[in-house]
Amino acid sequence: MTTTGIVLIEEHAQRVKPPRMLAVPFFFGNALGEADNPEYQHQILAQTFGLLDRTEGPVLEQLPDDMVPDILMQGSETSNESQEKGLNAADELTSLRPYYEQWADSHSGRTGVGASSIPQRRFRGVVRFFEGYIEREETDMKERPQDSTVPQFIRNCMNDLKAFYYEARMAQRPDGADRDIHDWFWSETAMGSLTMNLAQRMRDDEDPETQAVAYGIAR
Amino acid sequence: MPKLSVLSEIQRKSMLMWPCIEHDDTPWTPMAKPLSESKVALVTTAGLHVRGDKPFIAEHTKGGDTSYRTIPRSAGAADIIQSHTSLGFDHTGIYRDVNVTFPIDRLQELVDQKMIGSLSYNYYSFMGALRDVTGIIEESGPEVARRLKDEGVDVVLLTPT
Repeated sequence: MTTTGIVLIEEHAQRVKPPRMLAVPFFFGNALGEADNPEYQHQILAQTFGLLDRTEGPVLEQLPDDMVPDILMQGSETSNESQEKGLNAADELTSLRPYYEQWADSHSGRTGVGASSIPQRRFRGVVRFFEGYIEREETDMKERPQDSTVPQFIRNCMNDLKAFYYEARMAQRPDGADRDIHDWFWSETAMGSLTMNLAQRMRDDEDPETQAVAYGIAR
Repeated sequence: MPKLSVLSEIQRKSMLMWPCIEHDDTPWTPMAKPLSESKVALVTTAGLHVRGDKPFIAEHTKGGDTSYRTIPRSAGAADIIQSHTSLGFDHTGIYRDVNVTFPIDRLQELVDQKMIGSLSYNYYSFMGALRDVTGIIEESGPEVARRLKDEGVDVVLLTPT
């Protein structure tokens, strides 16, 4: 079989030496450049499939560097205003629910929510679980699968909560830039604050698995 | 990813020190026939899977989850979710449009335009950001390769997240 592909970290491809790779200057999660832009995605694919014509390799070609993206902010790089404003994540969830459901309805059910298998209408219970976990209470959820550890379950729940928030915001602000949504989550929402507190609680844990999940949740 | 030079110091160091394997040479398979006559498969390291399938897990002590998930080509965008073990990067793009990392609709369009001969029945997904890929080299990688060959795949498109 012949392979061709896209790589986000050119320096890694230089070391691994796959047969044919197109190095692109996009952020993680955006290998084909831009969501909802089929024309541009086809340009990236044309460049990638074009490498199949080469007769010797390895081939590591760069996409013309005319789309230098913004640097996305990490949670730790901002101050969150939600506590000063008296916001709490559970009420925030409720207020965003109509927008999330609007997003899912308008995308034929397409949603990033689903990793935890907990219905979104029960997410307030997830928030209570997180709050208890942060306070080091003996806490768990009956929905946690038996083959899933508590840190893994937390990660899947947080995956769903972030998807819920981002999709609700995209319904609220259909023309909003990705960066603005990202900044909003970390700077303004009570869930962003809760996420940072949860990550800190997990970083402080002695269990390496728990610490690793913390890095994945927020940094 | 943007050029390492525009990343923060901690991100740049993390990427440069990532324990990816180093090869001295490259396996090379030339095209056996034109793309317009080839069967193409999609393989990603985006940590995607069909809704309801087992999520990837953060097996930190083992260097990461080296298993794979099968995603039937018939699965629509609404059926596919991401359980990549890192949530610390922006997922907005894939929430909006799965094609930005897993171009299922774009590939079908290329078939419709007769640029690609056909598509495989199954696509495959691994986790990225692994610190130890031994499990892929020795087990899951060869298994997926066998399944692709059994299906008569000529070309594999690899995408990251």
